[in-house]
Amino acid sequence: MSHRLLQIFSLWLFAGLSCSSQADNAQQLIRQAIDNYRGITSYSEATMTIHRPDWQRVIAMKAWTEGLDKSLVRITAPKKDKDSGSLLLDDNMWSYAPKINRVIKIPSSMSGQSWMGSDFSNNDIARADDIIDNYTHTLLETKNHNGHKLFIIQSVPHEDAPVVWGKEVLQIRDDHVLLEHAFYDQDGILIKKLTTSEIKTISGKTIATTQRMQKADKENEWTEFHSSVIKFNIIIPKNTFTLSNLRNPR
Amino acid sequence: MNSFLLIFSLAWRNLWRNKRRTLVILLAIVLGVWAMIVTAAFMRGMIFQMLEDTVDNLAGHVQIHHSQYLDDPVINNSFDPDSHTISRITHDPRVLMWSDRIRLPAVVLSERETTGITMLGVNPARESKISFIGKSVVEGRFLNSSSDTGIVIGQALADKLETRLGKRIVLMSQDINNEIADRGFRIVGIYDAPLDPTEKAFVFVGKETAAKMVGLKGAISEIVLRLHDTDMVTPLVTEMDQLDHTIDVMSWLEVEPYLELMIQMMDTSMFIWYLIVFLAMAFGIINTLLMAVFERTREFGLFQALGQKPRFILFQVWLEAILMIIVGLLAGNFLSWISVMATGDGIDVSVFARGMEMINMSNIIPFVITFNDLMIANITVAVLGMLTGLYPAWRASRLVPADAITRI
Amino acid sequence: MNHVVQCEKVTKIFEQGLIKVNALTDVDLAIEKAEFICLSGPSGSGKSTLLNMIGGLDTPTSGEVYIDGEEIDELNKSELADLRLHKIGFVFQAYNLIPVLSAQENIEMVMQMQGVSKKERNEKSSAILEEVGLQGMEKRIPPELSGGQQQRVAVARAIVSRPSLVLADEPTANLDSVTANKLIDLMLQMNEIHKTTFIISTHDPMIMQRSKKLVKLHDGRIIDIT
Ligand SMILES: Nc1ncnc2c1ncn2[C@@H]1O[C@H](COP(=O)(O)OP(=O)(O)O)[C@@H](O)[C@H]1O
Ligand SMILES: [Mg+2]
Repeated sequence: MSHRLLQIFSLWLFAGLSCSSQADNAQQLIRQAIDNYRGITSYSEATMTIHRPDWQRVIAMKAWTEGLDKSLVRITAPKKDKDSGSLLLDDNMWSYAPKINRVIKIPSSMSGQSWMGSDFSNNDIARADDIIDNYTHTLLETKNHNGHKLFIIQSVPHEDAPVVWGKEVLQIRDDHVLLEHAFYDQDGILIKKLTTSEIKTISGKTIATTQRMQKADKENEWTEFHSSVIKFNIIIPKNTFTLSNLRNPR
Repeated sequence: MNSFLLIFSLAWRNLWRNKRRTLVILLAIVLGVWAMIVTAAFMRGMIFQMLEDTVDNLAGHVQIHHSQYLDDPVINNSFDPDSHTISRITHDPRVLMWSDRIRLPAVVLSERETTGITMLGVNPARESKISFIGKSVVEGRFLNSSSDTGIVIGQALADKLETRLGKRIVLMSQDINNEIADRGFRIVGIYDAPLDPTEKAFVFVGKETAAKMVGLKGAISEIVLRLHDTDMVTPLVTEMDQLDHTIDVMSWLEVEPYLELMIQMMDTSMFIWYLIVFLAMAFGIINTLLMAVFERTREFGLFQALGQKPRFILFQVWLEAILMIIVGLLAGNFLSWISVMATGDGIDVSVFARGMEMINMSNIIPFVITFNDLMIANITVAVLGMLTGLYPAWRASRLVPADAITRI
Repeated sequence: MNHVVQCEKVTKIFEQGLIKVNALTDVDLAIEKAEFICLSGPSGSGKSTLLNMIGGLDTPTSGEVYIDGEEIDELNKSELADLRLHKIGFVFQAYNLIPVLSAQENIEMVMQMQGVSKKERNEKSSAILEEVGLQGMEKRIPPELSGGQQQRVAVARAIVSRPSLVLADEPTANLDSVTANKLIDLMLQMNEIHKTTFIISTHDPMIMQRSKKLVKLHDGRIIDIT
């Protein structure tokens, strides 16, 4: 599984990988996408809507990323959560809560818990396992989608891979927009699905700007990401991805 | 001697003079003794079962850890199993068997659930002999070798994770560099432990597989030992704990201090229970004998008129009480023995299982009669009963003969 | 002193709440060995009280009682018990026997307490049972004996160990005259043969007639000795 947070904020990056989208080998397709992603920096502003049958919450945030293993997310609204944030370095994740003014390293025991109350777990967000090595990717089908080629790729985790899913099915366009990412359990039952509902071209790049994670058995429970501002290849100050920065928002 | 024989036959015959009343009070003594012994046996059984479960439940008789491990059971607090100290301990003739483990807190994830557990990386051959796991795998198999890549989890955990035999789950822990270490494991076996909490708490993987996952090279977290005899535990622990200050050698009682507390608590509550039962009994004895003395007032006057000394009268009535107690004790012990025999392996308390599991207990509780408990119950009844019988006897001996005789 | 019993100014006052009952007042009485004395008087005249004083079952309010010259007031309970065991035999109006013991055991009981060997006991009890005409009834327990038989057992028990004094408190009160006569015969016989001193309280004129000495009591005082 790829770095979920990056996926959420940055799957548009696939869009930037224009070159080898024609690859018909699924393994290669993903490898190229990731290789091309290395070293790219991004800044984005987004809202996350957590929807439940009886309530709904909207969280606004800013995010900085550098490559695959560094990202910082800072909440800007609502007020009570303002300035709290998460820092991801490699496999490790830290959270900062301004109210108690403490940085907590998310222990592995909390990895299964929900990230900010959403339908993403800390684990979903923090894991940066090598997507290439942990899965066997198979190109199931190639379709057409609004004038683009759409690759349907099935990723089955290896025996010892730290992945609980039985399989994952990704729908990726030739411009690397991820249209859909479905997670199946080991009996082949759909558990949850990430779908893209809005694609925009920003600074010359085509990216998914609205994505929704939906639990298969709970129609009324979902989390939706909407990116409003996205900038690539910006200069990010060196101390951005540090614990002290996490604690002291600029 | 003559007088004693006379007094004895008088006491014995008087005992059966009012058969119904004697039988009622005998019944009270018998039931009291029975209640004492059986309760003691039940409580003893409970403790015994708890100890067995604890020992069986991975604790063994003696445990060896890194000196910091119990405060902080992390990977860095591990030790070298091949050191001189360790081999000296494991080769001690008092040791029946031992098992070495990598024991780390971990998180287990399935498609639907995530929960904290303790990961045990074991040598399956050694582990299956020493702990319950050897005979508890109910589905699939236990691990084949230390480098088996499968995992064996408890039934309750499988239910909680909504997974089952043949599925993969993911374990996540920390490696020696404090980085996340994770790995997928296929469930090759499901075990059924006496207690749900055990099933939910422990997963078994191969020791080598676990070592590879967390980056341990040869070091382990604990060794548990089972000795030939539990009496050897304390001497061995005392002796071995001094060998190496980086190594902590402790008995299961130290590991589970609440057990010792529990034993003390049970001893105390048992004693209180004895007293309560006895008080009920004592009232019966005093009442019956006082009534008997009252009814036989004239006879005691007569005895005095015939020249029997007051102390013999006292002894006569007292002997009656003593005989009553002896008969009651014999019957009570016999009844206890029968009930304990009749229950066989123990009492199935699964009806209360939920409560029992909360206090960490199995569903089947065996009766354990110890010589000590038997003695305490019998001596309590005998000694206190005799003291109780003394009062009516004293009353009988204090009667003024003339009054006694005129009262018809 | 050759008096078996000697009473000097024996007074007994029972206090029942505020009421004082003078059961005996200044009773002087001396009885010699082998006497056969009848205590007579109406009910409540103090017969039983006097017998109890003599037997040491109760202590006088004032005055002294001597048995074989020994002042019984000086004795402690245990010594008193010994005195009764060895020197005095008692026969009461009724309920004389220990209900859980057989006739023979009742008779042997006193000897058993005296420490007499089993063999001797058996011999003596058999002999006395025969003497009182109860052979064949050794094994019967009191409820299986008639009132007269019970009283005979009581007499047998009282005399079997040859006490110097037998105190009988209305021994025939519950018996018909024929049985009563037989019992008196028995006691007279014992008196003759063994020289046992008898003090028998009664208000039965027939017994008074047959006794060798009659002591009349009235309201706790001796009013006549004949
Ligand atoms: N224990 C006692 N308490 C009070 N009064 C008693 C007691 N014993 C006897 N008396 C009284 O003493 C008196 C003499 O009684 P008692 O010696 O029994 O007479 P008797 O035997 O000649 O019928 C009676 O008035 C009787 O009520
Ligand atoms: Mg009278």
